[in-house]
Amino acid sequence: MVVDDEQDIRTTVETVLKVAGYAVITAVSGDDCLAKLKKAKPDLILMDIMMPGTPVRQVVKQIKGIKIAYLSVVRVSEAEKEELLGDNIVDFIQKPFDIGELLKRVKKLVG
Amino acid sequence: MDIIDELEENQTVLLLASSIGYNDTVIETVKKLAAKTVTYVTINKTASSLKETFKSKGVNVDNIVFIDAITKTIKDVPDQADGIYYMSSPAALTEISMAVSNMLNHGFNYLIFDSVTNLLVYEQRAPVAKFIQVLVNKIKSSKTKAVFYALSVKEQNELIQETGMFVDKVV
Repeated sequence: MVVDDEQDIRTTVETVLKVAGYAVITAVSGDDCLAKLKKAKPDLILMDIMMPGTPVRQVVKQIKGIKIAYLSVVRVSEAEKEELLGDNIVDFIQKPFDIGELLKRVKKLVG
Repeated sequence: MDIIDELEENQTVLLLASSIGYNDTVIETVKKLAAKTVTYVTINKTASSLKETFKSKGVNVDNIVFIDAITKTIKDVPDQADGIYYMSSPAALTEISMAVSNMLNHGFNYLIFDSVTNLLVYEQRAPVAKFIQVLVNKIKSSKTKAVFYALSVKEQNELIQETGMFVDKVV
């Protein structure tokens, strides 16, 4: 699942992942993500760390048993990355990201 | 262009940087200004990440107080800790303005605003332009010198031009 309020990001990442053979669902916000998770259980959620609506850090607390990788335009320190990772938060991908690198990380996380 | 010289002659400066040279510009500027007291307003980089980067580049962070408008959006932090004042979000322009006012009342040498163009990620151009105008006016009532960063990209031209009208010089 790709969760991002920016359509460009959703469309680009969705296209790239589909070409690579993954099935993709998209959501426009944390609230939309939670709604869609009632009907689907993806292997991995790529989630923008900052979106309108319910703050992302509150949204991820409600997601159990699914790996989440943050997509972040916000620059954080190494210590903050370590702090943000944990439980089901498995990766932190800085925007703008290289598509090849994104695919490599997705493959590492879900195969 | 030497930022110290520019700020000797102009109280407020808008510093335009390319996307390629932006990070280097940030480091070079803060390195020079951090010899004196600095308030660093950060919109899109956590104060923690800036401290980490600055220390690795030999910048003296002891003279820098941060107004951090982004960290609270991604994790829980107190309102203030370790020389960092945390704002609720980058869109909280009134809150940021008040924090800067408080700092101006205490007195310090330089304000660095990083960056004007980052604000557009979170707010519309008109309120951002007004916010910058108000901020510049507050600074002009003080002895503090200020440098505002902006990314020099075509999409941000209107805001850059507007900001350019408020400051003393665009470099």
